[in-house]
Amino acid sequence: MFKKVLVANRGEIALRIIRACRELGVQTVAVYSQADADSLHVRFADEAICIGPARGKDSYLNIPRLIGAAEITNSDAIHPGYGFLAENAQFAEICRESNISFIGPSPETITRMGDKALARQTMAAAGVPILPGVEGVLRDEEHALKEAARVGYPVIIKAVAGGGGKGMRIVRNAEELPRNFNMARVEAETSFSNGDVYLEKYLEHPRHIEIQIMGYTDGHAVTFGERDCSIQRRHQKLIEEAPSPVMTASLRKQLCAAAVKGAESVGYVGAGTLEFLYQDGGFYFMEMNTRIQVEHPVSEMVNRIDLVKEMILAVAGKESLKKSPAIEGHAIECRINAEDPDKGFIPSPGQITTFHVPGGMGIRVDTHAYAGYKIPPYYDSLIAKLIAFGNDRDEAIKRMSRALDEFIIEGVATTIPLHRRILASREFASGEYETTFMEHFLEAGKKD
Amino acid sequence: MNYADIRRLVKLVESSDIGELEIEEGGARLKIAKPSGSASAAPTFMPFPYPMGAPMSAPSGYTPASPSGAAAQAESAPITAAPAKKMHEVQSPMVGTYYRAPGPEAPPYVQLGDMVKPGQVLCIIEAMKLMNEIESEVSGRIAEIRVDNAQPVEFGQILFRIDPA
Repeated sequence: MFKKVLVANRGEIALRIIRACRELGVQTVAVYSQADADSLHVRFADEAICIGPARGKDSYLNIPRLIGAAEITNSDAIHPGYGFLAENAQFAEICRESNISFIGPSPETITRMGDKALARQTMAAAGVPILPGVEGVLRDEEHALKEAARVGYPVIIKAVAGGGGKGMRIVRNAEELPRNFNMARVEAETSFSNGDVYLEKYLEHPRHIEIQIMGYTDGHAVTFGERDCSIQRRHQKLIEEAPSPVMTASLRKQLCAAAVKGAESVGYVGAGTLEFLYQDGGFYFMEMNTRIQVEHPVSEMVNRIDLVKEMILAVAGKESLKKSPAIEGHAIECRINAEDPDKGFIPSPGQITTFHVPGGMGIRVDTHAYAGYKIPPYYDSLIAKLIAFGNDRDEAIKRMSRALDEFIIEGVATTIPLHRRILASREFASGEYETTFMEHFLEAGKKD
Repeated sequence: MNYADIRRLVKLVESSDIGELEIEEGGARLKIAKPSGSASAAPTFMPFPYPMGAPMSAPSGYTPASPSGAAAQAESAPITAAPAKKMHEVQSPMVGTYYRAPGPEAPPYVQLGDMVKPGQVLCIIEAMKLMNEIESEVSGRIAEIRVDNAQPVEFGQILFRIDPA
């Protein structure tokens, strides 16, 4: 078992990892930029090392400084959290070369799953349903036209090395294709230094449903069921829930079996998530995230498993879960961001003057913020995750609404008022929403 | 005790029959010895006892106690210039292990009281098996050495204070 873990991250996830380590009896090292000197993760770790000025590339993205910090503290493992270097195969490789365990899958697996076209191929081979599309890179216009006709319009052209909505073009017919194919390639080259693109069937109103898996060093994997993350704004998730209101027991069984098979086929070790689009009764694999995700708490609540402890144990080669747990109850998570929803979600850094977290039965708050904390302007705007758990979806919704009413944050603008409106809405209560929900909800809200 | 005081004491020993003078004040010891009859006396400074203990132990001392950011090095070094003078602080530009000399048997790059020039190597910081030479940006006299040999250092940690000249 690891003796000392360096947490190569900040904010709420750094604190989350420190908590898991403490419970496992493992020493922790926090690293921090000069902007994060007052951060909670710094105070709660056993040791803390300043690794640079505020800018990500000079601190949390700076591999020599992270490895340097691990060396001088004699850390034998690094947990990368999410974002930053969590899915950077080069970082995982350097850790391995430096004799430091990277708490995640191998560099080879990260590379393989990070390449979207390759990931699709891998999953298809394991029997995971994938979105109809091209196996591999589009060679030229002619190839693109042929494949688009085969798959059926509308299609979406995506960058192989991409993400975050860049290098993506929706094409509704053959006339539009050549132009969009070329533009997507240029965008991809500019944004990711890799002009390779592939195409998939485009779903107009899908749900985003993902499956959490955990792989172990003995080659087997288990699953923790699904999360529904359809409530998104500009591809950023706002609310997640487990289980999904539209999942049936038999669909879940099928999908989870395929996910486990996919993970085992690449010898996946650690926590991972397979993302799917769901529309008209069909599930389609999109991509795999080779990291612990922001919304992992909802899976933890319905499975009664600490996923961060579990991933550390898994990578350390320790005893594993023999089979997937059974899902019980219902959990919802609201991401509380320091943004003003009434002003176009403009970020609202600054000093928090009041910070009263909700409590009571079935409420969990994962946060690095506190009264008096100055939110630095250099990083993402997530300040807290509010999770409500209930015996069923109805109870979870009522609990979340109650907790949102109790959550008092003053000094900065937050998305709490928006979450309250969403939770109170009929669409959310019905469970019938997809990824277009937020857009319509915000539009409708503007009319009031 | 400041630099001016020490200079005065050195002159005193030089110009007198005193062979050896040892003074202890505020946790630091100063010993000035005249090597049998020679006219010059080189002051030798005792290492300061850092409050966080042995440099190789668990670096809990790197956790900042105050919100000021950089490592909480205790202000225990009494051999400094008078407070009114603005010192140039040499801060570590990286995370690694500080070495005062190019090798274990080699003499240190700089010692207390040495005059340095811009570009002059002050020390090495090692990380990932690579030795990085840290150069001075200013001219001046080494007024303070705030780290021990083989001590781990973090980004921004003060290594030296230089009295600019």
